[in-house]
Amino acid sequence: METANIAQNGRRLVTKNPMAAFLIVVGVVLIIDVVRQLATGDITFARILSLVWDGLMRGLVIGLAGIGLSMTYSILNFANFAHGDYITAGAFAGWATTYLIAGRFGAESSIGSLLLVGAGGSVFGGALGINVVSTPLAVVAGLIVACGFTIALALLMDRFVFKPIRGSGGIPLLITSIGAAFAIRYMLRFVFDPGTRGTTAAGAVPDIRPTIIDGSVVFTMHDLALIVVAGGLMLGVHLLLQRTKLGKAMRAMSDDQSLSRITGIPTERVIRATWIIGGGLTGVSGFMFVLWKGTLSWNDGWLLLLLIFAAVILGGIGSVYGAIVGGLVIGIVASTAVIWIPSGFARAAAFFVMILFLIVRPQGIFAGRSTA
Amino acid sequence: MSDADAAASDRGADEETQADVDANTADDHAENSETDAAEPTSAATEITLYEDSLLSIRDLDAGYGDLQILTDVDLDVNDGEYVTIVGPNGAGKSTVMKSVFAITDLMGGSVVFDGADITGTKPEDIIHLGLGYVPQNDNVFPSLSVIENLEMGAYILDEVPEDRLRDVFDRFPILEERKHQKAGTLSGGQQQMLAMGRALMLDPKLLLLDEPSAGLAPDLVDEMFDRIDEINADGTAIMMVEQNAKKALRRCDRGYVFVDGKNRYEDEGLTLLNDPQVRQDFLGG
Repeated sequence: METANIAQNGRRLVTKNPMAAFLIVVGVVLIIDVVRQLATGDITFARILSLVWDGLMRGLVIGLAGIGLSMTYSILNFANFAHGDYITAGAFAGWATTYLIAGRFGAESSIGSLLLVGAGGSVFGGALGINVVSTPLAVVAGLIVACGFTIALALLMDRFVFKPIRGSGGIPLLITSIGAAFAIRYMLRFVFDPGTRGTTAAGAVPDIRPTIIDGSVVFTMHDLALIVVAGGLMLGVHLLLQRTKLGKAMRAMSDDQSLSRITGIPTERVIRATWIIGGGLTGVSGFMFVLWKGTLSWNDGWLLLLLIFAAVILGGIGSVYGAIVGGLVIGIVASTAVIWIPSGFARAAAFFVMILFLIVRPQGIFAGRSTA
Repeated sequence: MSDADAAASDRGADEETQADVDANTADDHAENSETDAAEPTSAATEITLYEDSLLSIRDLDAGYGDLQILTDVDLDVNDGEYVTIVGPNGAGKSTVMKSVFAITDLMGGSVVFDGADITGTKPEDIIHLGLGYVPQNDNVFPSLSVIENLEMGAYILDEVPEDRLRDVFDRFPILEERKHQKAGTLSGGQQQMLAMGRALMLDPKLLLLDEPSAGLAPDLVDEMFDRIDEINADGTAIMMVEQNAKKALRRCDRGYVFVDGKNRYEDEGLTLLNDPQVRQDFLGG
């Protein structure tokens, strides 16, 4: 009787929703494969846990950066392709500050090298011993500068690049933002040198390595810092949107701009606030991303942007909550995909999951919920 | 008073129509008859201009881009008055309202409200002067709750005025019952009430209503008009655009008939309703 029911339900699923049935089959196959790998010793529980943890951290960065992208999308109605390079710009501005303070304003190395974040290998981040525990002031100052610099950049770009063409629709804005992305990116490359630098000494970050089941898993202080900063800011954004007058006005603007205007909401001021909040979060996410992964390159934000777009679309474009949840999903998928496929394809796996998900639920996870 | 009655009287002889209108005057509009200071004329192409009116539109030309819709429009709303604009589709009725809020392209003329020239003033500044506007469609924020919609209505104030909120809830009790519900999940009539409630949060001197009965079930239309009567009775002047011309003219103090972007007739609502020319040309005989 029971099995007959299950068989009947299964048959209905296959005929009514073949895509979902297919996904379930794929999921089962993947789980069986993990069990096989665990049994044969190809992989350990601790390794899987490490990957999930890594994905969670990556997801926090993506989610935090995605909030800004989602906000500008829903309130200004355009997909800002320069967003990724705002991340990089924030990271460079912040890390220049961190280097400067950690390098004691030129005591360790020339001020120029510190300000250029060790361009051309003139200073090595590892040598400065930067981390949240031993140089907390440098890290916090860098975080604040990253936030402030990105806000200034976002406001300047809006004032001189986007605002003049705001009336002409989403597509011209989008194309302009691609141009702006290139301009910012190559400016950073020109000023800071194209080399990738290590910003924190590998292994020097304080951590704990508890043994879980069959191996040790590493949790660093920078993981903790990322959780505190990203989690705190996400909670802050939630409270802003739900509790404050400005946040409600932002949600109202994302619902209907012209109605907002005749209701008396000062729309230009809300747009400015959107850039300030979105830009600030973006700069922070750039700084924290670099703190967490320990390297910095002129291409970081641009490469991350694709994953951010994937997260934002997966979450339901325009929804701040969608950006957060989408970010976590994309981050975890991109990290855990290496269990089954070579790491070179991990990024592709994230997009593959996004596409599959959108086939089943085209509106995204949070579409139609409270947006902003 | 239902459409069926009106239709019946339309088919009747002129005397019957007159009687019908007179009956209306007696019950609905007895209190309004003194407020109208204008000397009644037979519905003429002359538009009476009022001195010191609350809203005064003069020689207004407006449209969208290159398309001019309004030509030389003169229109007044006096303190506490209830004015209706009727006319065929595309006559520019809604455009007049949008032009007051400068969300059309103004091409000439002036708009003066409460002594201040507001021609081309931004909507967010006009709001401060005591002018509220309820557009026809998409007039609530669907993803905001009812109470949040009302809070947005009072955005320009530092605090949400509790007494105004109380007043809106008293007028529209359904809004209080549903105050935490998303506005997008309300019925059409409830959304219309919410939109009016939002505009009333600032206690405006003049409320612009663009087709408040549009899309409402027939039994709700009269209820909506009753609510508007109450708002007007409490001292808020009303300027309303309506498709439902006969009902609107019967209830208002004064009416304007728009044709092809021009203000063609102006008179007391009942006089317009009873004017053979207006009836034949615009009210379907």
